[in-house]
Amino acid sequence: MAPTSASGDQPSDKDNWDNGRLARRQQLLTEIVLRNKLTTLVFDGDTMCRVLEQVLLRSYGVQTQGVDNGRDAIALIAFGAKFNLIIIKKILPIMNGLEADSLNGSGCKILGVTACSGESERQAFLAIGVDVFIEKPLDPEHLVPILRELDG
Amino acid sequence: MDFVNQLQRKFIDYSSSLHREGIVDDQFTQLRKLEDENSPHFVMEVASLFFEDCEKLINNMAIALEQKQGVDFKQIDECIHQLKGSSSSIGAMRVKNACIAFRSFSGAQNREGCLRCLQQLSHEYSLLKNKLQTLFRVSVASRCLYVCLVIFCRENEPAEPFPDVLVFQLEKQIVAAGGSIPRVH
Repeated sequence: MAPTSASGDQPSDKDNWDNGRLARRQQLLTEIVLRNKLTTLVFDGDTMCRVLEQVLLRSYGVQTQGVDNGRDAIALIAFGAKFNLIIIKKILPIMNGLEADSLNGSGCKILGVTACSGESERQAFLAIGVDVFIEKPLDPEHLVPILRELDG
Repeated sequence: MDFVNQLQRKFIDYSSSLHREGIVDDQFTQLRKLEDENSPHFVMEVASLFFEDCEKLINNMAIALEQKQGVDFKQIDECIHQLKGSSSSIGAMRVKNACIAFRSFSGAQNREGCLRCLQQLSHEYSLLKNKLQTLFRVSVASRCLYVCLVIFCRENEPAEPFPDVLVFQLEKQIVAAGGSIPRVH
């Protein structure tokens, strides 16, 4: 799916419910064009969320692979599949210290998404080496800067 | 053409009201932008997934709160966690907020409070489901109408050419309301 053109550049009078932010979001959704082919692994047990995250990534031209359980995620990574970006919503048992470091070394970013971000959860994610940690939903505001950085 | 314009107007107004009433938020608008002619029913499909999930989780929580031998608040917490995640992903703002309120009672292991919250949550979910299903029905009707009009134009030209400008207007209205133009072969 190519980035869709916004339906008119300005929201019409009828949909002025949140003017400023809406306009900025439209801009974000259409603006980015990646030079390189990026690949992402999306690990989210919730089907609906995983589908949405993958669709959003694909709208930016990112190739995605989705897994719904930790075992598959670990297997993919352990067997050498290369990803530019990994999106996880749960801490994989194997991903601590060493594992995360070796991934980070290869220029791979890890993004943790969660439904409720308590301080303890945030600390746990950061402790295993995720680069960014956000609360759901995954949105362009957080995603686009990361994609830009990965694109170089 | 008046009823076509009316239908479009209804759709735009209804869609706006959903936002004004806080039933859906920016995230929902965003999802509609991801819809295109390759996946014209994307939002409807995602919404169906959400409705299924939501009903299952609400049921599970109701059962958990019924347990005489002791309520498993950890399980309830997990259900709320999941529901908060998916409701915020689809842009169901009021359902999400109901989850946030619910969380504080489950955290405090307050059964009465939880029962009240669950009721509130069910209410918000029903409201959302009704409104979205209405929205989708009108959206589908508009698209069908559009397709009929385009076919009518083609089959009747040049004997009775249908004003291009009206077809164009309808296209503009569909897009302005956040829909995508169906492909007519």
